[in-house]
Amino acid sequence: MAKDPLAEAGFFFDELNKLRVLEPEASQKTSELKEECKEFVDKIGQFQKIVGGLIELVDELAKEAETEKMKAIGARNLLKSVAKQREAQQQQLQALIAEKKMQLERYRIEYEALSKVESEQNEFIDQFILQK
Amino acid sequence: MRLKTSLLKEPKHILHMICVGWTTADELYSCSEDHQVLRWNLLTSETSLVVKFPEDIYPVDLHWFPKAVGGKKQMQPEIFVLTSTDGKFHLVSKMGRIEKSVEAHKGAVLAGKWTYDGTALITAGEDGQIKIWSKSGMLRSTLVSQGSPVYSVAWGPNSDRILYTSGRQLIIKPLQPSAKVVQWKAHDGVVLKVDWNSVNDLILSGGEDCKYKVWDSFGRLLHSSSSHDYPVTSLSWSPDGEVFAMGSFNTLRLCDKTGWSYALEKPNTGSVFNLAWSADGTQLAGACGNGHVVFAHVVEQHWEWKNYVITLTKRRTMQVRNVMDDAVDVLEFRDRVIKASLAHGHLVVATSLQCYVYKNWNTPLIFDLKEGTVSLILQAEKHFLLVDGAGLYIFSYEGRPISSPNFPGMRADILNAQGVSLSNDTVAIRDKSDEKVILLFDALTGKVLGDGKHLTHKLDVVEIALDQSGPSADRKIALIDKNRDLYLTSVRHLGREPKICKIGSMVHSMAWNDAANVLCGIQDTQLTVWYYPSVVFTDKELLPKTLFLKDGSEFSRAPHILSYVGTKVTLRQGDGSLVYSSVLPYPALLHEYSSSARWEDALRLCRFAKDQSLWACLAGMAMASRELNTAEMAYAAIGELPRVQYINFIREQPSKESSLAHTLLFSGHIQEAEASLLQAGLVYQAIQVNIDLFNWERALELAVKHKTHVDTVLAYREKFLQRFGRKETNQRFLQYSEGVEVDWEKIQAKIEMELSKEREKAANASVRSSVASRR
Repeated sequence: MAKDPLAEAGFFFDELNKLRVLEPEASQKTSELKEECKEFVDKIGQFQKIVGGLIELVDELAKEAETEKMKAIGARNLLKSVAKQREAQQQQLQALIAEKKMQLERYRIEYEALSKVESEQNEFIDQFILQK
Repeated sequence: MRLKTSLLKEPKHILHMICVGWTTADELYSCSEDHQVLRWNLLTSETSLVVKFPEDIYPVDLHWFPKAVGGKKQMQPEIFVLTSTDGKFHLVSKMGRIEKSVEAHKGAVLAGKWTYDGTALITAGEDGQIKIWSKSGMLRSTLVSQGSPVYSVAWGPNSDRILYTSGRQLIIKPLQPSAKVVQWKAHDGVVLKVDWNSVNDLILSGGEDCKYKVWDSFGRLLHSSSSHDYPVTSLSWSPDGEVFAMGSFNTLRLCDKTGWSYALEKPNTGSVFNLAWSADGTQLAGACGNGHVVFAHVVEQHWEWKNYVITLTKRRTMQVRNVMDDAVDVLEFRDRVIKASLAHGHLVVATSLQCYVYKNWNTPLIFDLKEGTVSLILQAEKHFLLVDGAGLYIFSYEGRPISSPNFPGMRADILNAQGVSLSNDTVAIRDKSDEKVILLFDALTGKVLGDGKHLTHKLDVVEIALDQSGPSADRKIALIDKNRDLYLTSVRHLGREPKICKIGSMVHSMAWNDAANVLCGIQDTQLTVWYYPSVVFTDKELLPKTLFLKDGSEFSRAPHILSYVGTKVTLRQGDGSLVYSSVLPYPALLHEYSSSARWEDALRLCRFAKDQSLWACLAGMAMASRELNTAEMAYAAIGELPRVQYINFIREQPSKESSLAHTLLFSGHIQEAEASLLQAGLVYQAIQVNIDLFNWERALELAVKHKTHVDTVLAYREKFLQRFGRKETNQRFLQYSEGVEVDWEKIQAKIEMELSKEREKAANASVRSSVASRR
């Protein structure tokens, strides 16, 4: 096939008989490439979206885990402090009990003294009646 | 007794509460690390901000200028001292204006205290110095310089000594530079707080070893508490010195002055840094570590008399319980009850404005009080005594003011029940400025008794008590001195100084019976009842026989007599428990018989009771009222034969005067006996009395003075010397014996003559044997 002088000059006609400066083949390839690139970009975009969602999800999870962790620590501390609180409360109650015990002992002594006085007085009354 | 505490729901201060101070009974100032001073009004329960200080003032201690003591009418203090961490103290007015700031110490000023009369201010600092300042804030002197911080300081009762902390030690330092310093190790940890009460002269200390201790002013330990869980951060005496409050972490304790604890409260306060009592001693405020102010008032005090038990159930309500039939009455008052007393069938209640007198529980007699803070109520059968900051007032149970004893230099605010005694006709007050002196007043007129001379003992007097019954001329006062010896003396006397007779030793406390002149006391460890203490004036040797001793083993340590009503003695032991002891009713009956001269009944009672001590009492009583027949029988019953004989001898005296003189001699009143004989013109008998007592000089003196019986004296002297184989050495006798010839016959005749003269004189002459022939 004879060389197309136009081709030699670097001009080509396409299917629609329009004048082009690019080889139709290359042009076709280019457009193919373009298509593919577009596809690729789309896919990447999609991928990014998915990954973004994932990251968000994971982040959320992390946050939740963190709060749960804090909660756990708090609860653990609270537990510990409750034990301490109970201890303090126990101590307080113990002190109050000791105080009450002391008071009871005082009352016991008072009661004993009073019963002694009672018996003395009974004795006195008996004696008094007998002698009369 | 216990504390009723109240806390607000929300703390008013954001940071640590540091200090509190009362102005009146219902107004409190508080300040904290947030630089604020708040005023709390308890009547309206309002809290208002007085002032907010600049950021650099962190308050440490607050103390109000004391109310003027004595007659001056100054109802409220106007300024207070506020010490701060920057080494300054500030005089702040009631409105919160800083009147003056004084650079006082390096480091924080840890304590600032006015004297009781407000003439001086003392500050103690972290730099270990204690400084005294004038009222206006001028430096007077630096009293102490030591290496460790002084955490707390307190004034002594007369503001002449101070007490301060030095690490684990306590130090009492008099203001006079030469006087002796008392220093002792008080705690096993650093001492954080001290307080010294002006009424009972006792010291409190609390420290990091979690204990509080009570000391007397010589540094002797009276009580040491058991170890608490946390250090003792605050201590405060109530103004009347009967109780004190202790504060620690989440702890508030009310204790008796002897140290045992009335009540424990566990309010949610954090550490109580500072405690302050209101002036009437009914309310307590505490500055808490968590920003709260804890208020507490004392309730559930008990009063007992015979079959009535009265309890203060609320601040304004009392419950009266008749134990016999379990009847309950409730008494309501308009104001807060400050003091009450139940005795002699009357209840006297002092509230902040009025005084209520109850005889039955329905209709009290009410009268207004001049000053609100009654610190002491004493009751006698016919009237009662109120003591407030300004003076002493005696009222009848009808509410009529009777008298108001007063003397120069009186400080009514520091009188306590040990230092004042009241009977139906007499008031006795121990002088605080000179504790050897007892001032005696007529209760009905308020005037000083007798010739205005006070009763002076040779030692400091610790406790006094007047007997409660019998005629006023026989009024006796019992007193315990510093050596714990018990003395008895009469209050009303004519002319002569009264004899102060010792009737017991190691006596720790005492009380007279409310109806008869029977005295009971704790002697060493046993309960001793003096059935008839006045016997010491008629027959000293009879005293031990009239005692009733009760073994002390039933009482544990340090019992203290609270009252002796009827036949019941109430004691409080060292651990706070009440114990009772009963005394037989016979001595009281015997007192009644003897005072109404029913000697027959008295004899019958003694025969019935078959008790030696009763016979001894009767002997003493009969002798005191010169009832010789009864006395003879009583002495015979206790086997005192020499005394029986002497009574017979008295009875055989030819004249009334002689027997009176010998009755006086019987009681050992020689001078009175002689005086009564001389007064009756019985010179020879007076001389003979002295001869019989080997009181030669006086006999000779009398003989020479009356120019009679010189030879009699010389004759007896000679006989006496011969019998002992001694020579006359007395110059006067030698001198007189030269001019006088001794002739026994003549002397006998002269004596006979004298005696017959006396017999003639005495209208009711009777058979007798002469003094001379008996010898």
